[in-house]
Amino acid sequence: MTMFHFFNCAILTFGPHAIYYSATPLSEYDTLGTSVKAALVYLGTALVKVSENDGFDPYQELLKAVIGFIDVAGLYFALTQLTHRNISQNHKFQAVGLGWAFADSVLHRLAPLWVGARGLEFTWDFILQGLEANANLVLSISLAALGSLMWLRKNKPKTLIPIIYACAGIVATMPSITSYLRRGLGWHFPKVVGFELFTSLSMAFISWQLFSACQRPSS
Amino acid sequence: MANSKKPGGLREMLESMYSVIALLFILVACVELCDAAAAVDVYRLIQYDMSGSPFGSRFAALNHHAASLHFPPGVDLSRTVLIIPLRELNITFVREYINQKNPLGGLLVLLPEVLSFKTGGNKQVHEKEKMKNLLAELERLLVHSNIPYPVYFAFENDEIDTVLADIKKNDLMGQPATATTGGYKFVIPTTEPKKVASPTMTNIQGWLSGLKTDGDANQLPTIAIVASYDTFGAAPALSVGSNSNGSGIVALLEIARLFSLLYSNPKTRGRYNLLFGLTSGGPYNYNGTQKWLRSFDQRLRESIDYAICLNSIGSWDNELWIHVSKPPENAYIKQIFEGLSNVAEELDLKVGLKHKKINISNPRVAWEHEQFSRLRVTAATLSELSVTPELLESTGGLFDTRQYVNETAIVRGVKLVAESLARHIYGHQGKNIQIFADESSLAVNPAYIRSWLDVLSQTPRVAPFLSKDDPFVMALKKELAGHVDEVNVQHETLEGIFTFYDSTSARLNIYQVASVTFDLLLLLVLGSYLIVLFSFLVITTRGLDDLISLFRRPPSRKLKTA
Repeated sequence: MTMFHFFNCAILTFGPHAIYYSATPLSEYDTLGTSVKAALVYLGTALVKVSENDGFDPYQELLKAVIGFIDVAGLYFALTQLTHRNISQNHKFQAVGLGWAFADSVLHRLAPLWVGARGLEFTWDFILQGLEANANLVLSISLAALGSLMWLRKNKPKTLIPIIYACAGIVATMPSITSYLRRGLGWHFPKVVGFELFTSLSMAFISWQLFSACQRPSS
Repeated sequence: MANSKKPGGLREMLESMYSVIALLFILVACVELCDAAAAVDVYRLIQYDMSGSPFGSRFAALNHHAASLHFPPGVDLSRTVLIIPLRELNITFVREYINQKNPLGGLLVLLPEVLSFKTGGNKQVHEKEKMKNLLAELERLLVHSNIPYPVYFAFENDEIDTVLADIKKNDLMGQPATATTGGYKFVIPTTEPKKVASPTMTNIQGWLSGLKTDGDANQLPTIAIVASYDTFGAAPALSVGSNSNGSGIVALLEIARLFSLLYSNPKTRGRYNLLFGLTSGGPYNYNGTQKWLRSFDQRLRESIDYAICLNSIGSWDNELWIHVSKPPENAYIKQIFEGLSNVAEELDLKVGLKHKKINISNPRVAWEHEQFSRLRVTAATLSELSVTPELLESTGGLFDTRQYVNETAIVRGVKLVAESLARHIYGHQGKNIQIFADESSLAVNPAYIRSWLDVLSQTPRVAPFLSKDDPFVMALKKELAGHVDEVNVQHETLEGIFTFYDSTSARLNIYQVASVTFDLLLLLVLGSYLIVLFSFLVITTRGLDDLISLFRRPPSRKLKTA
């Protein structure tokens, strides 16, 4: 029964990644390599974040925002520096975002899931964690989209540039926003997850609009 | 920042250390080990065999769902643990249930927190008498029944009260209702209880020598003061026996202290030896006392003038009883009784005499003095109990906690015994001389009594579970050694008709579990969510036709080949 619960939470947490990969044309373009490389870069940035934790800094939130920008830097690295096969812009950012989100889920959610969800005690935590993983996936893909817009696309409409950078900034600092909500304002986990889902969907919509807006001149 | 001031090599090492520690912290933060909803200390009902017949709770491990007394009628309880707080306990229900041998997964009785010697403290008990009677009845029922499922006792606290309230709510709704309140599971992961191999009884004796002048060829006469220190109760891990017989032990120690003061000076040393005995095996027909007496030298036994046994003198108001087995007309008995009555009158309390004949063929020994009488030594037991206790009764049970003992009563008891002893030793019978007067250097010390009573009220002392070098027994020996000339410890095996089993306490884990229907429902929801997500993604990225073609492909192939 408890393995059952673990199975349920696992498919909620990791299912969407697999489904995204198989449902969209990503699988036809063999972007698995890209996703894997993006995952490795994420792990690299995670370690960098760890060693950055040099301790007695009083401005904890500022530090966390800095960590958020390290995320962005890692994504930049993954998007621009890694050599990919000839895939279109469209699919590159999706693959990178997917790999990124998958690595994030595995690193932060697999271990608690394996240890906790198999126990006898029932909590809603793991289901909420799965929903959070879903929101994270959407957020990562939108961040990757905005990132690709910022660094890979050369001809952008001038008016949209500040909006792009603003949205990217918001999405990048999302981890620190959520931790502030959880610790600073004391929101409960379900509320935080609801907030994450809402913002991820809205940010995805905005970045989709921006992407298609930037796409219009070239098409 | 401050760190940059440190030397380079040290800084690198610190950085790598920090990173390792931080990594560990991240891992720990990720791996949040959240196990049981609550974990409670529980104490098992005693399990013993008497002459081969099994008694008590025969099992220890537990892994069942929990229910309260409001369970829907007609429900099968063979895989359920009933959790009953003492205030809702209906003794007739429990008695019927046990007598009819109805199946049950387990029983957990919640005792009020005030009775706990760890957390209860000195809070006053409400409705003392009612609780005492209920506990006594429950104990009597459980100790003398053969129960084929685990029975545990626990103390109420906030955690378990919330759990109980939740369980009651679920039961009143007829069935575990919503998904999250699929129910509570009680798990006690222990092993099968094993027999206690060769349980030991340890008797401690202290000898205070009297003043032997050169003219005395024979041995000085001896007076013995005895108290048994071990207990027996429904929950051996909770049997502290404050009154039975903590009060007796404390009184004996105080009397030893007073007489050691007197005997330390040769000018005030009496012409009697004093023999103090802390015996074990009390609840089991005073088996330990018998073995102790049998180990005596014949001369020593004959030199004992009389013995006073102390049993439960901690919660009386105005009347104490002297129980004897020799007829009251016996000269020695008369002497003892008169001595005690005279002092009693002065102390403004009453002593009564109770005579109970011994039946040599009956192995039942209800009072400690009977063991002396069987070996032709004059003895009497001083007790507040007027009725002879049955086997395994009044031996320090669930209700015998600190709150039920009054140290003033013990102080008065000590005065009574000490004064009468002193008058006998120094030949002041009938004279109104107060040797242990208040405010004198020989006054009874209430602080000493109180501190030892507190210690005893926190130490369960069931003999089979006290090892040979148990720290408490050693402490008793050390204390007695401080007052007397010579201390001897005697180890005996508790054989005979009793066999005991271990596993007296455990840790109960309470888990909140979801029902199977919840898991299935969740699977259904997740499955449909993933399918919807899949279809949504296919439609938006590849178009609706692609989605349909996913399902139509096999038939179209067939059409092509045909």
